[in-house]
Amino acid sequence: MIAFNNITIRVHKQPLLTDVDLHVQGGEKVVIRGPSGCGKSSLLKCAVGALPLTGGSVQFSGLTLSEKTVREVRSRIAFIGQEPVLGAENVRDALLLPFSYKAHRHTRPGDAHIFQTLENLKLNASILDQSTNRISGGEKQRIAIARALLLNKTVFFADEITSALDPESKQAVMDELFRPGITLLSVSHDPDWIQACNRIVEINEQQLIEVHP
Amino acid sequence: MMVEMDILSTVSMYALLLIPIGIFIWLQLGLVKETILAAIRMTVQLVLVGLYLKYVFQLNNGFVNLVWVAVMMVAANVSVLGKSGLKRKLFFWRTLAGITVSTLIVSGWFILVAIRPDPFYDARYMVPIIGMILGNCQRSNVLSLERFYSGIRKNEHEFMTYLMLGATLKEAVAPYLRIALKSCINPSLASMATMGIVSLPGMMTGQILGGAMPMEAIKYQIGIMLCIFTSMVIAALVNILLSLPVAFDDYQRLKPEIFQ
Repeated sequence: MIAFNNITIRVHKQPLLTDVDLHVQGGEKVVIRGPSGCGKSSLLKCAVGALPLTGGSVQFSGLTLSEKTVREVRSRIAFIGQEPVLGAENVRDALLLPFSYKAHRHTRPGDAHIFQTLENLKLNASILDQSTNRISGGEKQRIAIARALLLNKTVFFADEITSALDPESKQAVMDELFRPGITLLSVSHDPDWIQACNRIVEINEQQLIEVHP
Repeated sequence: MMVEMDILSTVSMYALLLIPIGIFIWLQLGLVKETILAAIRMTVQLVLVGLYLKYVFQLNNGFVNLVWVAVMMVAANVSVLGKSGLKRKLFFWRTLAGITVSTLIVSGWFILVAIRPDPFYDARYMVPIIGMILGNCQRSNVLSLERFYSGIRKNEHEFMTYLMLGATLKEAVAPYLRIALKSCINPSLASMATMGIVSLPGMMTGQILGGAMPMEAIKYQIGIMLCIFTSMVIAALVNILLSLPVAFDDYQRLKPEIFQ
C-alpha cells in the first residue's frame, strides 16, 4: 500500500533519517514515535512531497512519488497536522473548500452527509455558521478531519492530532479513523492512540525500529 | 506663461530640507545621511534626465523615444525586483514582460486612441505619459510581488494544506494573489476616490502651471488616472502569473532560493 524505500531525510543539512524502510499495508494503523525533532513529521511530509527527500523513494499502491505523480498521490491522502488549517472564514466554507477545486467539484457532499459526518465527530450542526476564528483548537481539529472524511479519503496521515481534544472528542475521532477500511500512518505520544494502533515504529538515531506492542 | 525659476530660487528650495533633517536629529532617527544622499541622487538624476530630455524633445525621433522608454522600463524592473526582495537574475525577463505589456497596452490606448498626437511618437506626449504610468506600476508591483511571495513563505503550512486538499498550483496561490492585488489596488482606489478634494494631482497641477486651461488639464488627469489604475492591475497580475513557473518546483513547493 505505502512503501518507504531507503529513505534519507536531511533538513538544513542535519540528517534526520538515513536509509530507512517502512512498508504499510492497506488497513493498517501505524504510529511513529520518538523525541522531538527526530524526523517523525518530516517523514510524513516527505511522503506527500511537502519536503524534499534526500534519498530513496515512496510508493503508493505501486505509484512512485515523483513530480508527475505528486498530485495523484496527494489526492489519495488526507494529511492532518497538529495545527489544522481551515482556510475559510466560516466553518461551512472551510468544510466545502476542497469542493471549490476542479479536482473535487463534482463530488460536493449534500447537507445530510455533512450533518452525519459532524455528528460522528461529536460536533453540532450549528457550528457550520460559526466563524473559524471563534471555535476551539479541538473543534478545528475535528473540522479538518470531517473535511477529509467528506472527501472519502481512506489513507490518513495524522500528525499529533489528538493533542487538543478532550477524551470524548478523542474517542469520536479514533472511532472514525480506526475503522477497518482506513489506512492510518500517524505520529503521536498519546497512550490511548498508541495502544489502538497495530504497529508501533520508533525513530532512534536516524533509524526506524519496529516495537512490538 | 509659467513664471520661470532661476538657479538661485531652485537652490533655495533645499533650505526646506533643514526642517526634516532637524527633526531627524532631534528624534535620533538616523536618517540624516540617507536624506542628504537621496536629495543628491534626485538632483543628479533629474538634471541628467532634463539634459537628455531636452535633446529627445528636440530630435523627436520615434526610435530614440522608444529607446528612452525601454530604458525607463528596464530601470523600473530592476527597482521592482530589488525592492520586492526577489532575485533579479531569476525573474528579470518575466517581470520585464509584465511591466512592458501592461504599460504598452494602456499608454498605447491613451496616446493612439484618446490624444492622437501627430506624429504618434511625439516625445512631449509619449515620454511623460509612459513615465507616469510606469512610475505608478513600479510602486504597485513592488507591493504585489512582495506581499504575494512573503504571504506564501509565512504561511507555508497553510499553502501546503491547500495542495493536499486537491488544489492545483493556481488554486492554491489564489488566496495570496487576492491579498497581494488588494494591497496594491486599495491605495490607488482611495487616491482616485479623493482626487481633487484631498489632493490636486501632479499632472494636472503641472499642466495648469504650464499655462493649460483647468478643464483641459482635468481631461488629461482623468485619462492618466484611468491608465495608471488599469496598468497597475494588469502588471501586478501578469507579473505574479509569469513568475509562478520560476518560483515553485515540480512538487509545487516554493523555492527558498528565489529570495535575496
